[in-house]
Amino acid sequence: MHEYDEMALDILILGGGGAGLMAALHANARDPNLKIGIAVKGTIGQSGCTRMVQGGYNAVLDPADSLDKHFADTIQGGGYLNDQELAWSLVSDAPKLIAELERHGCYFDRTPDGRIYQKPFAGQSFDRTVNRGDLTGIEIMSRLKDSVVASGVTPLDEHRALSLLTDADGGVGGALLMDVRTGRFLAATATATLVATGGGARMYRVAAPSLEKAGDGMAMCYRAGCSMRDMEMYQFHPTGLVAGASVLTGSVLEEGLRGAGGLLTNANGERFMSRYDSERMERSTRDLVSRAGYQEIQAGRGTEDGAIFLDVSHLGADYVEQTFPGMTDRCREVGFDLAREPVKVSPTSHFHMGGARIDSSCRTNLDGLFVAGEDSGGVHGANRLGGNGVAESTVFGARAGDAMAGYVRDASRSSISVGQIEVAIDDALKPMTGNGGENIYAIRSEIEDLMWEKVGLVRDGAGMQSALDTLDGLAERHQRATVPDIREYNLAWQEWLNVDSILTVARLTAISALSRAESRGSHYRTDYPEPDESTPPYNVLMQQDGEAPKVWTEDVRLAKLQPVGIEDQSETRMRQ
Amino acid sequence: MLTETISLSIKRSPSEPTATDAWRQYSVPVIAASMSVLDALMWAQRNADPSLAFRSACRVGMCGTCGVAVNGREGLACRTLVSRVIGDGEIRVEPVRHVPVVRDLVTDMSSFHAKAQAVAPNTEYAGAGTPGVFTDSRQAIQAQRECIYCGLCYSACSIVGLDPGFAGPAALNRAFVAASDDRNELADDVLGHVANEHGLWRCHDLYECTAVCPKGISPTLAIQRLKRRVTTHKLKRAFRIGR
Repeated sequence: MHEYDEMALDILILGGGGAGLMAALHANARDPNLKIGIAVKGTIGQSGCTRMVQGGYNAVLDPADSLDKHFADTIQGGGYLNDQELAWSLVSDAPKLIAELERHGCYFDRTPDGRIYQKPFAGQSFDRTVNRGDLTGIEIMSRLKDSVVASGVTPLDEHRALSLLTDADGGVGGALLMDVRTGRFLAATATATLVATGGGARMYRVAAPSLEKAGDGMAMCYRAGCSMRDMEMYQFHPTGLVAGASVLTGSVLEEGLRGAGGLLTNANGERFMSRYDSERMERSTRDLVSRAGYQEIQAGRGTEDGAIFLDVSHLGADYVEQTFPGMTDRCREVGFDLAREPVKVSPTSHFHMGGARIDSSCRTNLDGLFVAGEDSGGVHGANRLGGNGVAESTVFGARAGDAMAGYVRDASRSSISVGQIEVAIDDALKPMTGNGGENIYAIRSEIEDLMWEKVGLVRDGAGMQSALDTLDGLAERHQRATVPDIREYNLAWQEWLNVDSILTVARLTAISALSRAESRGSHYRTDYPEPDESTPPYNVLMQQDGEAPKVWTEDVRLAKLQPVGIEDQSETRMRQ
Repeated sequence: MLTETISLSIKRSPSEPTATDAWRQYSVPVIAASMSVLDALMWAQRNADPSLAFRSACRVGMCGTCGVAVNGREGLACRTLVSRVIGDGEIRVEPVRHVPVVRDLVTDMSSFHAKAQAVAPNTEYAGAGTPGVFTDSRQAIQAQRECIYCGLCYSACSIVGLDPGFAGPAALNRAFVAASDDRNELADDVLGHVANEHGLWRCHDLYECTAVCPKGISPTLAIQRLKRRVTTHKLKRAFRIGR
C-alpha cells in the first residue's frame, strides 16, 4: 500500500494555461459554491503556452469583417478536416471573449481613434488579429491569473497529473496528481474533470513550446479510453529561431513579421516561396511555408547549420524595433539584429491540431471528462491559423467551465477503486532505483530525432513503419531507465514521466499518419503527395483497445462549408 | 572569446537539515555562442548530476520562473548569457533571496505572489472592450504593466531583507498600475493597502529593483509616483478640495 493524500472536489482542472484558467473562472462565476481545484504542472499563470503567445488573437470586431469570413478562413486553412460546429463556436465566441478579457484587466492595442487595433496575419481574408504588442500572452495570462487567485479557486502549483481516475461505470472522476516539490501523491476526486494541459509538440528535435509540456493530457485521455481524432496533424511554425545547441533554438519569431512583409530566402538568396506558392508567397498558410523551408534545407539550399533566412530589414529599422520589440530582443540575444539584417530560422514544431474528440460543450465520449484547448482535436482541422490558438484556449476553456458547472449540478460519480491508484503509483515509482540504468535524457533525445526525421514535416509509409518499430525499442529502454532516488523536485524523475507521455503520443501520431494515405494540410507524405480526391474528406479516429489502438475513419460532416464552390483562393489572400 | 569549457558552481541544498550549504563545481562545455546560464544548468543536470534541481518553463524570458543569482546578481537564467557573466572564468549560481528554498535553486515564491495580490485584491474594469482612446494615464502605466512576476526585484531589494513584511517592488508596481488605470473603478482602494509602514513609505529609492528587472521596468519610479499620489490625495482631503 502506498501513501497518498486525498482531496474531494466538484471540478478538477488539469492545466493552468488559457483554457484551464478561463474554465476555472467560468465555472466559479456560474456557481461560487463549487469546490474547484486547478492543478498546474508549473506555477499558475506562468507555465504553458498561452503565456508564450506573441502575435495575437483572431476575433471579428470590425463591421466590415464577418463571422462567415473568419469561419471560411479557418475551414479552408484547415483543409476541410475541421469539426465545423467547433470552428463555428470558435469564431462566434471569440469577439465576446475579447471584451471579457478586457474586463479582467487586459488592454489590447488601440487605433488612434480608440478602436481595438487588428493586424494582418497569414492565411486570413481580413486584418482581425488583436494583440498587445508582440507579447500578447503575458497580458492575457497575468490578468487571468489575478482573477483566478481572487476568485477563491484552489490553485495547486507544481502538481502534475499522472493518470485519470475512472469510476465503476467507466466515467472519469478526477486524477492522481503528484506534488513536484515534495514528490507526494494526491488522489483528487471530482465529479467533472477538465484536461487542458497542452499538446505534445515538444516531442520533435526543433520545437517551440514551453519546456515542461509533454502531451500528458492526451496520453492520459487515450489511456482512459477517450476517442482521439486526427492525431497525425502537427503544425510546424515556419520561423523558429536557430541558436545552435542552445535551448533557445526553436522558439518562435512571430507570424506578424511575415504579415508585415517579411521575406524568406534560402542560402542562395532566393525567395524560395515562388516555387511553392507563387501567389501568396511568404504569406501562405503555415503548413505550406514550413514545408517549403524544410524542403529547401533538405535539398541543400539551407545554411550549414540547417537554417534559412527571415528578412524584415527592408521594412525600416525603426518600424521593426517599435512594432516587434520582443522579437528584436530575442534575436539580439543570439547575435542577430532583426531590424537590420536577415535572421537564421528553421521550421519548428509548434502545435498539435489533433487530440481528444469533443463536442461544442467540450464533452468527450467518457462521462465526466471534458477537454479544452490544444488537448482537443477538431477546431483547426489539418492546419491552424495564426491567432486561432489563444482564441481556442479561451473560447473552449470558457465553454468547458460553463458546461461543467451545469453538469455537476445533476451528476454524481460511482466509487473510484483504490486499486487503480496503487497501480498508477507503482508505475510512477518504477525508475526510482537510483542506479545503473540508462540516462533518460538520451532516450528523450533519440525520440526527438526519430520523430523529426520520420514522422515530421515530410513523411512516407516505410519511414513511419520503421519509426513505430524504433519507438517500441525506445519504450523498452524507457522502462529500464533509472533516476536518482529523491522525491523532492527531482527533474530526472519528472523527465521520465514526460517521456512516458511522449512515447504514447508519438505512437498515436505515427499510427494515425500511416492511416491517412494522402497529403492534406500539415500532413505531407511523399508516397501520397496529393489530397485523395476520390473520397470525401475524412477524420482518423483512435481509441485504446488493448495494446494497440482501434483505428477507423469517418467522413467529415460538411455542415456549413463544402470544398466544392469555394475553390476561389483569392478570398484567402492576405490583405496588406 | 569563450573558452571550450566553463566552471559552473552551484549552491546546493544541504543533504541533512543540520549541514551547511554546499557549493558544487561542474565543468561545462560551451554548447553555443549564445549559451545561457539555463543552458549550462541543463547541461550539468543532464550530463553530470541528475539530482540537481532548478526551475524553468518557457526559456525565452516570458514566464519568469527561472530567476537565480548569478555571480551575486539577480537574473533570469534563460536570459543571462554565459559570455556576459563569465568574467574571470567562473559562474556561481545560487537561489534568489528572501524566499524559502525548496531544493537547490528552486524557491517557494508563494509569499512574493501573495504580497503582489494583496495590494489590489479586487479590481473592476469599466468600459472594457469598448472604444476608448489611449489616455495619458494609460501611457504612464503601459511599460509598468509588462511585469512578469519573476521576483528578481524582490530578491535584490535590501529593504525586503530588513523588513520581511515589506510589500516589495513588484507588489508596489502592481499597486501603481491598479491605482492609475483609469478604467479601474476600485483604483482608490489600492492606496489604503499600500500607504503604510510596510508599503510605500518603507522604500528608500535605492533603485536595486530597477537595476535587475529583466523587462526594463522601474518599480522605483512607480513607487515614487504612487507616493506623490498619496500625498496629493491627503492634501486635497486636508484642504477639502474636491471631495
